[in-house]
This record gives sequence, C-alpha cells and structure tokens, in this order.
Amino acid sequence: MSGKEFFINRYRQLGWQFKPVQARQAIRINQSNAKGKNLPERLRGLGVELEKIPFLEFGYWVGKSKVSAGATAEYLLGLYSIQEAAAQIPAALFSNLKNKPALDACAAPGGKTVQLADLMDNRGSIVALDVDRRRLAALTNHLERCHIRCAVVYPLDARRVSGLNLKFERILLDVPCSGNFASDSEWFSRRTLKDVERNAKVQREILAEAVKCLADNGEIVYSTCSLEPEEDEQNIDWAIKNLSLQVQHVDCRGDAGLTDVFGHQLDESIAMCKRIWPAETQGFFVCKLKRKAGQP
Amino acid sequence: MKPLTAFASKFGAQIALNPEFIVEKAQRYYLLNPQLRKVARADFYYAGLYLGKVKNGVFFPSFNFLNMLAVVAANKVVLDLKAAWLFICGRDLFRRGILKVQGSQRKGDFALVMNEFGECLGFGMIVGGFEAAGNNEVAVQNVLDVGDFLRREG
Repeated sequence: MSGKEFFINRYRQLGWQFKPVQARQAIRINQSNAKGKNLPERLRGLGVELEKIPFLEFGYWVGKSKVSAGATAEYLLGLYSIQEAAAQIPAALFSNLKNKPALDACAAPGGKTVQLADLMDNRGSIVALDVDRRRLAALTNHLERCHIRCAVVYPLDARRVSGLNLKFERILLDVPCSGNFASDSEWFSRRTLKDVERNAKVQREILAEAVKCLADNGEIVYSTCSLEPEEDEQNIDWAIKNLSLQVQHVDCRGDAGLTDVFGHQLDESIAMCKRIWPAETQGFFVCKLKRKAGQP
Repeated sequence: MKPLTAFASKFGAQIALNPEFIVEKAQRYYLLNPQLRKVARADFYYAGLYLGKVKNGVFFPSFNFLNMLAVVAANKVVLDLKAAWLFICGRDLFRRGILKVQGSQRKGDFALVMNEFGECLGFGMIVGGFEAAGNNEVAVQNVLDVGDFLRREG
C-alpha cells in the first residue's frame, strides 16, 4: 500500500484532485527585531521581490531574487525567518500568548519557537523540546540568531514531557509526521501507509502526554504537514474520544476538516479543524483543542 | 561573570549584569528572565539569552552579548554597505569602507563592527590607523561576524 497512484487515489476519495505543485518560498518578519526598520523595503533594495501573503500577518512570499534569502545580512541579524507559509499558521492560532507559559513539544529546527517568542514579545517562558541532537543544534542556532531570550531547550522526547512537572497554558504540537509531496519531490516513492500508521501512533502518544501538562483552560494547537487523515482528522477524533478534548473554532486559511474519512464518520466538530491541500503552500493540517468543560 | 565583564572591558565598555539571572553551564553563560529562572532545570541544553562560552581559557562572545555591548558605550566602527557585506563574508576591514569610528583607535583594542542601520555585525581587532591616507590598508581584522551562522551549519 504505497506508490503515487495509491496515494492519489486516496486523495481523490477524500475529495481532492491531485495536481503537482511546489510550495513557494516564504519569510516571516520577526517583529521583536525588525520593528521600525522597514524590512520589506530594505530587502527590495537588495533585489528581493516580495509579495505580502494575504492570510498571514507578518508573512511574505519571496519571488525572483538577486540574493539568497538565507544569506542576507538582514537574515543573519534575525530580522526575519525563512518559514513556509502554511507553517506560519499554527503559532498564530493561540489566543493571547503573552504571559502564558508555553510548550513547543517538537521544536527543531525552531521556526515556530521563534514565532511563539515573537508573539510573546520575547518575554515569559517557552519550554522547547526535541530529541535529535543534530536538530537541537539547528534549533539553538535559530534562537541565537533571532536573539530569543524567553526559551529553555531540553533534549527530551515529547512523550516524556510530563517528567518536567510543569503545567502549560499554551502547547504547540507540531508533531513529527509523514510530510507531503509538495515539500518533498521523492515523497511518493519514500512513503508507505505503514509509515503513516506508525507516525499516527507516535502522534497519539505525544497528544496523550501533552494533555497531562495542559493547564486548566489551556490551549493545544496540533499541526502536521501530512495530508494523510490517519495523522490528522482521525487522530483528533481519537483525542476527542480518549483524552476529553474538544475542538475549537479557528479563523485561518484552509478547508473544513474531514468528517467522513473513507466511509468512517468522525466527530462533527472536526469540521472546525483546517485542512490545507497543496497549492501555493505545502499541505497542512491544523487544529485547536481545549479540555471539555468540567474535565480535570 | 568575570569572563563577561573582562571581555566587555576590552571594548572600553562596562556592563552591569545581575548575577541572580546569569547561569553558567559547561562554561557557557546564559541570561535568564525571572519566569525562565523558575522553569529551567539544571539539565537544560540551552536557556534564555546565550551570552558566550569559555574554551581553553578564552571567552567567545555570542552575538547577543555583542548587541548588549553595542547599547553601552563601546569602541565601534560603522561601515558602508559594501564593506558591511565583505565583513559578513569573513573579510578584514579596509579604512575606505569605514564611515565612522567611535572610542579607541589604539592598535590591539577590540571594536564592534556596525552597519549603517546601527546593527552589530560582529567585532574585530584594530590593527591599523584610521587616517584617510591609509585607505587601502587593513584597519580592523575580522574576529567574528554574523556570517558565522551560515558557516556553522554549512
């Protein structure tokens, strides 16, 4: 159960007609560092074509460019991050992050950690975890480059986070996933349904562990860049039934989450999740969760 | 703490750091805010604002620490756009690319290297004079520049 035809047929059954796409390069301006610096004009002065992304507050598409967006002085000074457009959505979905202890459970390479810090005015606390030492180096370089002062990083598997004995009011679960063909040209030859199911199991374990650390009235944002419903809607359906979580309305780009997956009916509230089929962005899935009222 | 203040003094800068919020781990120094101080356990990998590390008895500052020095009085040179780019690429500074000098001009002293926008690109050691006659001579030797972020991961 693998191969391009197999997956394309699944997407068709889910209501989407496959078309080959490649996600556009995007940047996100780090407000804490770039405030008052008129960064878009500075970059245009260097020969970088920029186009405001209509569904993001601080995001720009990068068009033709005389220089590499990852090698300008402005990038090295942390004035902006290179961050795929759909990947800029999850951190922006939390309601008021300021003064809320936050957890970024699968943090490397750090784009979303930096974004969370930026939304928190670089104050308060973010606990950022990752388990891979090489990825931790990328994460900490990112934090240093962007002058982040409110994050603490542990080399820890997200499935063990309750061992920190901390409660968080905002938890970002941008979980490890199977990815999608728009950001990996070899995706169809690399992935099988078995990989998807294995990832879905790990994602459920991370969700279950995160709930143990969620403060009363706290929020979880769950996201993947997978198009496979096992990692998306079906995991959220499982979380609703097993972790006493409920889906919250979010206002962002994307189609309604699927409630009929290959003939299986899922909880109706999953329609409030957002599924982004690849077009200008890569594929993405995002969902905001809270505890059901009256649940410990 | 001492390596930090000693390093600052090489730029003619005095810096006030609250020891309560400075954490040293494996000869690396971090500045933590009060909220982080509460949640940071001893086994962290990285925390707060990374300030620099001591290796073989020598202090290597972070860019965060250089930025902190840049806001207090310190030796500085300000570069034009072209010289700023060459500096980021690891090159030494010729007199002709320097727009302004602030603080010491003594050979052997350190100076922060700034761009026209007042942003700190790194630091260097003063090795030559700043007189216009020496336009084609190296005035500041590159010690550390922000291009290091690319070289680290390359």
